[in-house]
Amino acid sequence: MKSRTTWQFNPVRGEYQAGDPVPAQGTGEISAIDAFANKTMLLLGGTGFVGKVLLALALDRFPELKHLVVQVRRKKNMSGEQRFYSEVLQSPPLRPIVERAGGESVLRKKLQIVEGDLDQPLCGIPADQIEQLKGKVDIVVNLAGVVDFDPPVNESFETNVYGTQHLIELVKLLDVKLVHVSTSYVAGKKDGRIPENVPIESYFPLRDVPDERQFSVNQELKWYEEFIEEIRNTRGTNPRPARERLREGGMNRAQYWGWTNTYTYTKSIGEQLIANTPGLRYAIVRPAIVESSLRFPFAGWNEGFTTSAPLVLMGGEGVKGWPVRKDGPLEIIPVDLVASGILIVTAAVLCGKNKHVYHLASADQNPIMLPRLVAFLGMNSRYKHKHKKSGNRLANLWKAYVETQVITVESLQVRRARMHRGLDVIHAALTLGKTILGPDKISPYLKSLRDTRRQIRQQEITLDKFLPFMFHNSFVFETRNIREAAHMLTNEDLKSLQWDPEAIDWADYWVNIHTKGIEKWIRPVFTTRKA
Amino acid sequence: MNKAAFYDLDGTLLSCNLVTMHAYYARNDRSLIKSIYQFTKVLLSVPLLFGLDLYSRSLFNVFSFRAYRGMHRDRLIGLADDLFEVTLKPSIFPQAQVLINTTRDLGYRNVLVTGTLDFTIRPIALHFGIDEVICNRLEFKNHIATGHVLPPLLAENEKARSIREYSKEKGIDLAQSCAFSDSSADVPMLTAVGYPVATNPTRRLRRVALHKGWPILELRETSSIFPPFLRPAKAL
Repeated sequence: MKSRTTWQFNPVRGEYQAGDPVPAQGTGEISAIDAFANKTMLLLGGTGFVGKVLLALALDRFPELKHLVVQVRRKKNMSGEQRFYSEVLQSPPLRPIVERAGGESVLRKKLQIVEGDLDQPLCGIPADQIEQLKGKVDIVVNLAGVVDFDPPVNESFETNVYGTQHLIELVKLLDVKLVHVSTSYVAGKKDGRIPENVPIESYFPLRDVPDERQFSVNQELKWYEEFIEEIRNTRGTNPRPARERLREGGMNRAQYWGWTNTYTYTKSIGEQLIANTPGLRYAIVRPAIVESSLRFPFAGWNEGFTTSAPLVLMGGEGVKGWPVRKDGPLEIIPVDLVASGILIVTAAVLCGKNKHVYHLASADQNPIMLPRLVAFLGMNSRYKHKHKKSGNRLANLWKAYVETQVITVESLQVRRARMHRGLDVIHAALTLGKTILGPDKISPYLKSLRDTRRQIRQQEITLDKFLPFMFHNSFVFETRNIREAAHMLTNEDLKSLQWDPEAIDWADYWVNIHTKGIEKWIRPVFTTRKA
Repeated sequence: MNKAAFYDLDGTLLSCNLVTMHAYYARNDRSLIKSIYQFTKVLLSVPLLFGLDLYSRSLFNVFSFRAYRGMHRDRLIGLADDLFEVTLKPSIFPQAQVLINTTRDLGYRNVLVTGTLDFTIRPIALHFGIDEVICNRLEFKNHIATGHVLPPLLAENEKARSIREYSKEKGIDLAQSCAFSDSSADVPMLTAVGYPVATNPTRRLRRVALHKGWPILELRETSSIFPPFLRPAKAL
C-alpha cells in the first residue's frame, strides 16, 4: 500500500491502486488453449444470460476453437439461424466481440447454427444434422433450462427433466463429453456450508430426517405423469384454473422433499438423470445467483430477471423493511466469472482431469453479508428520490431520507397487516366520500389506490419468492473444486480465464457496477413489460 | 516523449473543499438525529480548520480526514454519486471542461493530482473524462474508517514528488508538461513542470505567479484566454 506511484482506478477493487495487479499463477497441469485447440463445442442454451456471455468469452479469448456449434430454438416466424444472427449476435454483450473479431463474416466461418429444442427427442436437432455432427463435436455444454422459480410444473419438467433425458440421448449418440449447468440451490433447504462431494444419486434435502422417505427419479417421473393425468381429467370439474393447480402441485412436491421451489427440484432430478447414466463422462457446474458482469464484456451487463434484479428494483422504489438474516451472506456471483468457470471446467473435462461437481459461488472466499446489501438498497433509494422531479413530494422525501431496515419475517407480517388495514380505512373513507361528493371527484383517487395496492401485492409476492435465500436458509457453497481446476491452468490461460471472486470489492461492485447495470439494462425492460 | 497535464481539483476545477464534502456525509447520516449531531460537529470544527489551512495545508488535511473516523466504507461509496450531484457538480467552473478537453486534444495525458479522497473522485473523474488519478485514500479496518490516511499524504511537496515518480514510470517529459493549481500550497508541483499555470489563483499564489512570470488563468469566467502554449493547434 505504501506506494507513491500512480493509482489507476481498478474497477474490480473499486479503488485507485498502485501499479498493475499481480497476475494469477497456475501449475500448468491443464492447458485450456491446448485443450480447445481444434476442438468443436456444441452449446445448448447459448441465447440466455449466461449463454451469451459464455459465447462471447469463448469467441473472444479462444480463437483456437475449431468450431462452435450453437443450438437455437426457432421462434414463430424466424428460423434459428436468423434469430441467432439478428438477435443474439447483435445483443449488447456480443456486439463488441463481433467488432473485435473483424465482423460477422469472420465469425460465420467459426460458428454453425443448428435448430433445436430441448423439449424434443435428441434435443430436436434434425437427423441429417446429427449425422453431420457425429465425429465432429468433442464436447456438449448445456446451459438450457427453465429458470423460473415456480412455473406450472409441466413447463419445468419438460425442459429440466425430460430435456435432460434428451440431452443424455444426444450425448450418448454423439459419444462425447458433457458439461451440464445446474444451480447451487439443488441443495434445497439447508443451512451452513454445502460441500461439493455429496452423492448426486437419490439425493433429497430432507434425507437426514429419520423417516421412511426414499427418493428416486423413476418414482418422481411416475408421480409427474399421474399428476398431469389427474389435472387433465379434472379440468372440466375443478373450478380452479389448471395453470394455478400445476404451479401449486410443483411447489408442494418440491417442498415435500425439502427443496425450495419447482426450479431447484426439477434441476436436481436432471442432475440425477445424468449421474445415473453409466459410462457418461460429465461434469455438473452449479452457479449460485448469477449477477451483473464484473468486467467482461463490460462491467455491469445484466439481463437476468431471476436474479436479485427484482429486489434491487424494489429497493430503488423505496421499500424500507427487508427480512434478511443478519449473519447470512447472499450467494451471488458475477456472470463473467460464471462463464469463465464453465470454460475452466470444460477444459478440465476435455483433459479428463475433472471432478463431477463444481460450485461457482463467492461466499466461501469473500462473503457479502445481507445487512450490507440492505443498506445499499437504501442509499440507492436516497439517490433516486432526492433527484426525482415527478411523484408525490412527501412520498419522495420519505423514500429519500428514511433508511432501510433489517427486519424479521414476523415483523414483516405485522407491518403488512398494518399497511393493509390502513389501506382498507382509506378505501372505506373514499367510498363514503364517493357517495357524498359524487364519483367525479373521488374516482381518480380510488383508481390510484387500486394501483398502489396492486403494486404492493406484486412486491409482496416477489419478496416471498426470495425469502428462502435471504431469511429461511443461509448457505455457503464450498468452491474447492473450481479453485483447484483454475490452479491447474497455465499462466497464459489465466490471462483469459479468471476465477477470482476473492478479489471483488462488494461495495464498489454493488453500488457502481451492479445497481447501475440493473438500472440501465433491466429497469427499461421491466417497465415496458409491466405496461 | 509523452507529456502530461496535471490538475489540482479543489479551487482549480471546482469550488469545493474537503470540509464541504465531509459536511455532506455528516448531513446524510443514518438517522436524522445522527445527522444533526454530526453536522453540528462539522460546524464547530470550521474555525479550527480555517486557521489550520492558513498555517499548513498538510495539517489541515490530516485534521479534516480525522473527521471520517467511524464512518462505514459502504456509506462513503454508496453516497458518492449523490455527493457529486448535490455538492460538486453545481460548483464546477464554467471553463473547466473546455480546458480539460483542450489539453487532451493537444496530446497531454490528463492526470488529477489531488488531496481529495478516491471515492469522491470517481464520479468527478468520470464526469471530466480523466482516466488517471493520484489522490488520497483513507485507511479502513473492517470497513470502518480509522481516520488516518494511507501514506503518503498527498499535499504540498508530496504532490511534486508523486508527479516526478509518475513521469519516470510512464516516460513523461516534465519539461514539456503543464500543471494547473489555485493554491500556493501547490507551488512545488507547479515548479516541477515546464508550463505551470496559476489557475484562479489565491492572493498568495498570484504574487508568486507574477514574480515568476507564470501565466494566470481564470476558469470562473464564462470565457477565458488560455496561455499561448495551449493555443498552437488553433494557430497552425
